[in-house]
Amino acid sequence: MSPFSPTTLLVLVPLLPLLGAICTILLGRRLGARGHLPAVAGIAGAALVAGLLLVSTVNDVRGDGNGQATRPVEIIAELWQWATVDDAHAGGGDAAGTPVAPGISALDSFSATVTLRCDPLTSTLLVIITGVGLLVAIYSIGYMHDDPGYPRFFALVAMFVFSMSMLVAASNFLLVYVFWEAVGACSYLLIGFWFTRPEAARAAKKAFLVNRVGDFGLAIATFLLWMTYGTLDFHDTWAGDTVVQGILGHTRLADAEGFVGGAVGTAICLLILLAACGKSAQLPLHVWLPDAMEGPTPASALIHAATMVTAGIYLITRSAPLFVGCPGALAMVSIVGATTALVAAGIATVQNDLKRVLAYSTISQLGYMFASLGTGSMLGFTAAIFHLVTHAFFKALLFLGAGSVMHSMGGVIDMRRFGGLRQVMPVTAATFLIGACALAGLPPFAGFFSKDEILAALHAKAHPDQHHSDHADAHAADQIAPNRLATPFRQAAFASNRTALESDAGLERVGLDALDHPSTWQTLFWMSLFTAGLTAFYTFRAVFMTFTGPKRVPTEAGHHPHESPTVMTVPLMILAGLSLLAGWVLFATGGLAWFLAATPSLTAPAIVRTAVTHAFHVDLAVQGSLAAAIGIAIAAIGHLGKRSDSPQMERFLGPLGTLLENKFYFDAIYKALIVRPLEGLSLLSALIDRNLVDGTVDAVARVPLSWGAVVRRLQSGLVQRYALAGVVGVLAIVLALAWQLRP
Amino acid sequence: MTTQTSLSTFLLAGPEITLVIAALVIFLWGAFGGLRQGWLVALAGIAAAACWPGLALVPGELVASGPLSIDAFAAFIRGMVLAAGAGLCLVQAGDHFRSAVTHGPVRRDASTCEEAGTFLLLAGLSLVASANDLVLLLAGLELVSIPTYILLALKRTDARGQEASIKYFFLSLVASALFLYGMACLYGIGGSTSLAEIGARLRSPDARISDTATVLLPVALGMVLAGAAFRLAAVPMHFYAPDVYEGTGPANAALLSTLPKVAGVVVLLRLLSLGTGGTLGMMALNQGVAGPAAAAWLTFFWQTLAVLAALTMTVGNLMALMQTNLRRLLACSSIAHAGYLLVGVAAAAAADATLAGRPFPSPDTAWTGALGGTTATLFYLATYITATIGVFAAITYLGHRWPEWTSGPAPQPPRQEVTSVDDLDGLSSTNPVAAFSLAVFLLSLAGIPPLPGFWGKLSLAMAALEVDWTARATPGSRRVIFLSLAVVLVLNAAIAAAYYLRIVAAMYFRSTKRGVQADGGIGAGVAMLAALGLVALFTIQPRPLLSASSRAGESISAPHALLATPQASTTP
Repeated sequence: MSPFSPTTLLVLVPLLPLLGAICTILLGRRLGARGHLPAVAGIAGAALVAGLLLVSTVNDVRGDGNGQATRPVEIIAELWQWATVDDAHAGGGDAAGTPVAPGISALDSFSATVTLRCDPLTSTLLVIITGVGLLVAIYSIGYMHDDPGYPRFFALVAMFVFSMSMLVAASNFLLVYVFWEAVGACSYLLIGFWFTRPEAARAAKKAFLVNRVGDFGLAIATFLLWMTYGTLDFHDTWAGDTVVQGILGHTRLADAEGFVGGAVGTAICLLILLAACGKSAQLPLHVWLPDAMEGPTPASALIHAATMVTAGIYLITRSAPLFVGCPGALAMVSIVGATTALVAAGIATVQNDLKRVLAYSTISQLGYMFASLGTGSMLGFTAAIFHLVTHAFFKALLFLGAGSVMHSMGGVIDMRRFGGLRQVMPVTAATFLIGACALAGLPPFAGFFSKDEILAALHAKAHPDQHHSDHADAHAADQIAPNRLATPFRQAAFASNRTALESDAGLERVGLDALDHPSTWQTLFWMSLFTAGLTAFYTFRAVFMTFTGPKRVPTEAGHHPHESPTVMTVPLMILAGLSLLAGWVLFATGGLAWFLAATPSLTAPAIVRTAVTHAFHVDLAVQGSLAAAIGIAIAAIGHLGKRSDSPQMERFLGPLGTLLENKFYFDAIYKALIVRPLEGLSLLSALIDRNLVDGTVDAVARVPLSWGAVVRRLQSGLVQRYALAGVVGVLAIVLALAWQLRP
Repeated sequence: MTTQTSLSTFLLAGPEITLVIAALVIFLWGAFGGLRQGWLVALAGIAAAACWPGLALVPGELVASGPLSIDAFAAFIRGMVLAAGAGLCLVQAGDHFRSAVTHGPVRRDASTCEEAGTFLLLAGLSLVASANDLVLLLAGLELVSIPTYILLALKRTDARGQEASIKYFFLSLVASALFLYGMACLYGIGGSTSLAEIGARLRSPDARISDTATVLLPVALGMVLAGAAFRLAAVPMHFYAPDVYEGTGPANAALLSTLPKVAGVVVLLRLLSLGTGGTLGMMALNQGVAGPAAAAWLTFFWQTLAVLAALTMTVGNLMALMQTNLRRLLACSSIAHAGYLLVGVAAAAAADATLAGRPFPSPDTAWTGALGGTTATLFYLATYITATIGVFAAITYLGHRWPEWTSGPAPQPPRQEVTSVDDLDGLSSTNPVAAFSLAVFLLSLAGIPPLPGFWGKLSLAMAALEVDWTARATPGSRRVIFLSLAVVLVLNAAIAAAYYLRIVAAMYFRSTKRGVQADGGIGAGVAMLAALGLVALFTIQPRPLLSASSRAGESISAPHALLATPQASTTP
């Protein structure tokens, strides 16, 4: 293996941050003020390696140079086998071990391998994770300065970059699950970084517990996948000279009958969606993300805006072939996404805490990506990843800008308490404005292009005739598989499919599939367009409240509020440049879409068939920009140049304003329906535990102790007694055995 | 089976001969040449012995010559013994630094005597593993015992130390005498000292031969078990352990709680294989009808061992529950571990008993990948030894505790050895590395997942559950007996967790003003970290160790993988 082979690079990307984290943990206290060095070095190395890996993957996709090779590209690096269970399908009868089709074998054993993969999707995300991670780490050198937990912070960030890289590079669902939990743990630790503050501790706990709901979905989905497909690997593996079809492997993708649809398929997809909702803060599991802003701002920028929260987008894109067979589940993805986008944008319009505005905006933008994924078309998937990339840039920029404001204002983040800051911190103000334009979707900033593609994907789905897409019949032929079975469970799943086939000569439809109707998509499109307007409004409301109007600073900021140090402003400027250019570059060249199309998951026939020639939709662009312009105009009327603590616009909203201010009462409802009953239950359990269970346990525990006292007395210390006891014992054995031989 | 000349016999015994030569070099160099760093020579000797070819054999392969027979089992034990030996030499080196602090400088050549004695012991143990003859087996066992007396007597010259060594000496003599008597009975059965011959006679279908043999079986088995039980510190020969461990230093305690146990397990498994002849024996038998004497031997074996295992586990753990002295506690826990090991041997014997009298290979059996009691025992033994050497290395490394320091004119009180659980209070803050290592070893011994001790206990319990897995559980059937044995094992693991966690809690949740000196020297520290590395390795990747134990197990006991089919597991 040459030192620069893609496999080596792939292993190095997670390895370097891990080493950085370990070094920081071991040396942290010794390094003192230089506690950031190992972590920053590790992440920087990873970013460099990820860049090289991206170049190598692009070359692979380019292939022989004719530029249109979109064959699937993937590199698999199997590191070691963690555990195997033979005969895992025990009870499965003769399905185990027998070749199910010539050349294709089913697994009869369960094996957990540590396998990494690299394909266009993974290498794109690795660059984002390590790149944004590096900028955030550099920024944190200034931001976290003088914090008593300085090395701990950097160890956690490096650990997060490691876990997140592993999550997107893992090549089986088990490993994905492991690192899904690992990023959750890092997030928990960073939200609760200042754990002495009760709000931070509470927010960390809330994030962790809400995420558990989603994780539960992923666990069940993993079980179902294993029972259905007999493996958890994404890629094809070899057992002797037969191919074991991976869930997302080439042979299964080429095999039009490789995926299970119907009730089982839909259940798997909905469970994956539940997991994605937890991690990506979608309705109804979004409540943890706003509270997560209790963590240090750089952590919010990295984890709760740019990377970890996009894990749900990644997971759905990766599982795209599973989803396209289940139109109902796909429609649910879009419905959840568009609804979340609208609700979160609504809430964001009345928030006064700058970081919370951004938090709700993150939820809303993630909702956009979900809405785009749910279209199930090539455009939808690539647009979602495109938006993921641009959003990572501009949202990290906005968060770091907010952090810069907070740093300068002595920890105050309530927008009503300061104003006119463009005079105090010009660099922050300028870069924040660029980020805001990108978020609002103004041309030619990054967000405009990616949001336009999302709207186009939704529009295409709502008006299939206008876009010359043959998507309408795309899912007619792809779901029903003949007897190419891996597990008995799957046989059962297909049996019901076949019955449905025989009875009404169509694929088995589940009730949910009725959602996949043009009217649904039209509604979703208009919701998204309206959300675009709201986005522009709340973004510029924040800009105007913070940076315009008469200059006011809170007392906490001290006598001399100042611009942040260079180590903080340079990452801001880099991110601002990216927010300005990335959208245009990636859109104009069409490079990202071309590149992503070579991801194995997106080469499923049902997705490839929906690929349309790349086009700029003038009417959509105009509609989107118009919505943004209206939003900005209303924000300007309300807030431009005014004191930020002057009366707010929500007084015009009446009861709707109250609803928004209370965040649609989600927290209150959860508290009444879930938290309170559980508290009662736990109180009851505690009583039972303390009295009944503990009492019993204590009583049981006294038994061995009393016996022990007896046994101890036998331990007299007299050697002749020991010898006697031994000999008597042996005689007893001999006699007992001889007794059995009696005639 | 290949027959070789007597020169090849010496070649086969190469590692043992290397060890003995190294021992002699250390003895002489220490006495006349003023060798100070005996442990360096010792490590070199172990490296030389390990380089000897033939340490890894495939199952089914057997090289025999004269009284020696090397198979995968012997190779596995040799490897384990050499690795443990390296660890023990390091711990001993550390122990010298340590005891020099309390007891003043020891006699200059005492340290080299210890290294050399340990080497003779290793050689003896290695011979036990490859012995194919009763005489060599006994010689090997005595070569394990006699250096132990010397080591115990050398270590401590105070009353407790002398008491410990005298106690061990007398009780070991009693055990050896009983064992010799059992061997005489085996000789009576076989008419030969060769284990292969005895096994053949035992498995003979001839009614006259097998009737004669059966009469001798109870005495032979009972007496032989006495010898093995003493080395394992199992009921009813377990009494010495707490007194002896407490009376001697941690290095000797480490040695006593590992190497003799290996000897005990090896003797049991070798004698057990008399009933089946191992995989090779089964293959050689081929027509498959083993004699009734062999069936009786195996049945007696598992019946006795099942009872002893349950008693040993329970007694050991109950005793340990009350202890406050660290070495006494570990002695009691080592009794309990002997009980766990016996569970595996009993399961192996029961499975072998099913197979005895059944044609091999037979149409109603199929490979299913069952683990097997022998494999589980060997795997558990390896994880136990790693963690135990680690614990004692850590205790040796910690050495002494700083005295209660009050500034004033009063002279500083002497430093005290780390002996009781309380001495470890707050270790996590004063010496985090040692505390972490110690906690990992103790948790592994307690069987907390995912540490290797857990996999070991799991495989032991699985081996017990696999006995007659598909048979109906009627009262008194083997299935129920082994089911109960597995339950007893799990309950005992729960009791054991109490006292192991007490130590961990002392280190992590209590605080102290008195630090620990960590004057145990670099040797013990290195041994501790090496053991930690091994534990980590077995945690992340238990597979190589597991497959090595399974190769070794398959070569000495019947192929257990043949058992788990419905037809094969009806109770005879």
